[in-house]
Amino acid sequence: MGAAILGNMRFTVGWLYPDLMNIYGDRGNILTLLKRAEWHGLEPHLVELGRGAAAEMQDVDVFFFGGGQDREQALIYDDLRQYKQESLQRAVDDGVQILAVCGGYQLLGHYYQTADGERFDGIGMLDVKTEAGKKRFIGDVVVQTGIEGMVPDTLVGFENHSGRTFLGPGAKPLGKVLMGKGNNGSDKTEGAVQGNIIGTYLHGSLLPKNPHLADYVIGKALKRRGDGALSHLDDSAELAAHGWILQRAQRR
Amino acid sequence: MIRKTAAVWAGKATGTLSRVTRRGGGTTLPGDVARAIDPKILTRLAQDLTYGSIVITGTNGKTTTARLVSYLLEGAGHRVVSNRAGANLIFGATAAALDRAGADGRLRADWGVFEIDEASLPRAVDEIQPRATLVLNLFRDQLDRYGELESIARKIERALSTLPEGARAVLNADDPRVAEIGLGLPYRPLWYGLDDVSIAAKTLPHAADARTCPRCGASLIFDAVYVGHDGVYRCPNGDFARPEPDLRATDIKLNGFESLALTIAGTRIELPLGGLYNCYNVLAAYAAAYSVGLEPQYIADRLKTFKPAFGRQERVEFRGRHLVLVLSKNPAGFNETVRTAVDLAKGTNYILGLNDRKADGTDVSWIWDVDFEQLKDRARVVIPAGVRAHDLAVRLKYAGVKAEAPETDPGKALDVLIKNTDEGDTAYVLCTYTAMLDIRAELVRRGWAQPYWET
Repeated sequence: MGAAILGNMRFTVGWLYPDLMNIYGDRGNILTLLKRAEWHGLEPHLVELGRGAAAEMQDVDVFFFGGGQDREQALIYDDLRQYKQESLQRAVDDGVQILAVCGGYQLLGHYYQTADGERFDGIGMLDVKTEAGKKRFIGDVVVQTGIEGMVPDTLVGFENHSGRTFLGPGAKPLGKVLMGKGNNGSDKTEGAVQGNIIGTYLHGSLLPKNPHLADYVIGKALKRRGDGALSHLDDSAELAAHGWILQRAQRR
Repeated sequence: MIRKTAAVWAGKATGTLSRVTRRGGGTTLPGDVARAIDPKILTRLAQDLTYGSIVITGTNGKTTTARLVSYLLEGAGHRVVSNRAGANLIFGATAAALDRAGADGRLRADWGVFEIDEASLPRAVDEIQPRATLVLNLFRDQLDRYGELESIARKIERALSTLPEGARAVLNADDPRVAEIGLGLPYRPLWYGLDDVSIAAKTLPHAADARTCPRCGASLIFDAVYVGHDGVYRCPNGDFARPEPDLRATDIKLNGFESLALTIAGTRIELPLGGLYNCYNVLAAYAAAYSVGLEPQYIADRLKTFKPAFGRQERVEFRGRHLVLVLSKNPAGFNETVRTAVDLAKGTNYILGLNDRKADGTDVSWIWDVDFEQLKDRARVVIPAGVRAHDLAVRLKYAGVKAEAPETDPGKALDVLIKNTDEGDTAYVLCTYTAMLDIRAELVRRGWAQPYWET
C-alpha cells in the first residue's frame, strides 16, 4: 500500500559534514534512512553537505548530524554558523527533521563548556547545554522512549562521551535510561526532543537496530508534504539485533 | 642482579604452568609476575641483547610485519626474541623476553623484535630503548578502548621524540597522520611508501580518517589511494604533502591471498602472502631489515619461504575443503580483507565473525564503516557469526548482501560453511580477534588445526 501512495516521491537525506563528522559508524544511520525510504516506495536521495555554502539544503527532508573527533569538530564551528544555521532553522520551522548524534547533538545546543571553563557556543536550536565531565561514559545503553505510540518502546545503542548534557525547559528527553548513563549520568535521561529535532548520544549505529525510530523520523518528515503513513516492513533481523541487546542487559 | 634472576624464574615458572594447564599460550601472565618482582626487568633483559631491538607499532599489520622482520633476522643466523601471538602490551613483550632468558637470568638473543600496541609505545621505547621504531599506519580502531585517533597520535609523537641517540624511526610516508608526526620530529626519519598508480583507487573509502591538512584544515587532495587513507596526498594550499619516500615499492602484482610481488630499489621480491595491505607490511619489514644492514638480495631470497602468523591468512584443510582465516578487526582492515577475498581471490563462501569482547572493542558501530557492499551479488554463502552475529546480519541486509541466518555458535557456523562448500573449493573466514580465537578453538577441537602456541 505504501508503494502505491508514496511511489516516485522523492525523499532526501542531508548528511552534515560527512567527511569530518563521521566517527564510528554514523554511516549506518544514513544507510538505514535511505534503504528504508526505498523499501517504503520512496525515491531516496543523499546530499552530502560539506564545508561551504550549500543550495541543496532546501531539498532536504531529514538532516543527519553525526559526531566527530575534537580536531575535526573544531574545523566546522564557524562553517556551521556561517553557512548552515539559517537554512537549518528555516527547514525545521517548515517540518523538516533533524537527527543529531553525540557531537552533532552537542553542537545543536547552547554551548559546550570544557573542563577549564572555556565555552564553545553551539547554535542553540536545542535547549540543552553540555559540560565536560571527568570520566568517559562508555558502554551499551537501553532507553525507554517517551515518544508516544512507538513499538517497541525501547531504544538500544552504545555511548562513548565525556560531555554531560542537561536539558532546559524547551527540550524533552528522548527517553529514560534503563541501562547506561545517557545525557549526564545523574538524572536518568537520554537525548532530547524539541519540535522536529532529535538529539542523542546513542551510536551503535542507532537507526539500524532501532527501525521503529527510523520510520518515526521518516514518517514525520513526510507529514509536512501531506502524507505520513508508511507501509509495514519486515524488521525481524533488525528487531533480533535489538532484542539481543535487551536480553543481554537483563542478564547483567 | 639477584632480583632480576628471581623475576626471570618466577615469570618462567608462570609461563610453564599456564601452558601445562592449557590455560592459553602463557603469552602475557609471566610478564605480570616478573614485573611485580622487578619493575625494570624488561629494560635489564633488553640490555642483554647482542644488537638491540626493533619495535613495531601502528593500527594494522603489526603482527605480520614483526613476523617478517624476525624471519629475515633469523635467516641471517641471528637469535631473535619476539612477542608473537598478538600479545602486544608491555607485559607481552616482557613475557617473551623472559621465555628466552636462561637460568642465570640472562636473555640469550641477538635481536628483540617487538610489536607494541600504539598506546603502549612511550613506555616500550622508554624501557626497551629500541634501535629502530616502525610506525605502520594510524586508522580508527576501537574508540571505546583507545580513545580518539588524535590522542594515540600524540602518544606516538612523544615516544618518537625520545628515541635514543642513533636510533632510527621508520615511517609510512603514505599515511597523512603518520607523516604529520614524522615531519614534526627533531630528526629525519626513514620514509617508505608505495608507488604504483595501476593498483590505486581515486577516492577515499568511507572509513577514511586523516582527510584534512594539519596546518590549514583544508581537505587533502589524494592523487592515489592505496589502503584506507594511505596514499599520495597533498594540501590544496601547499601547506602539507606526502614526504618523498626513501624506499618505494613499485610494479606491484597481487594474486589473491596466495602471493604478491613488488620491486623495492631495484630488487624484485615475491612471497606467499596476499593483499595490497601486505605490500605495506613487506615494505616496512624490508625498510627495517635494510636499516640494520641486511642485503637486498638476501631479503628477496629469504622472503620466498615466509609463513604467515596465527589467523593472518592461515590455511586450514578439511576433507578437501580449504579454509583461509583472515583476521579483520577494524574498518580499514576489514575493507582490505573483503576486497582481497572478493576481487583478487574470487571468493564466494564466507564466515564473517564479530565479537564485542574487550580485545575486539565493545562498540560494534564500526561495521557500518566497512564496505560489505563489495560482497553483493558476488558472494554465494555468507554466514554472520560471533557474539554479535545479529548486528552483522543487519549490516549485510542494508548492504544488499544475501546472507544465511546469524549463527552465534562458532561450531554451528563452521557446519553451515562446510555444508555449503564443495570439495576442492575455498572458503574464507574473516573475523575480529576473539571471534577468530573462538573459531580457531573449534578447529583445534575438531583436529583440523594446531593450537596457536604450537604454530
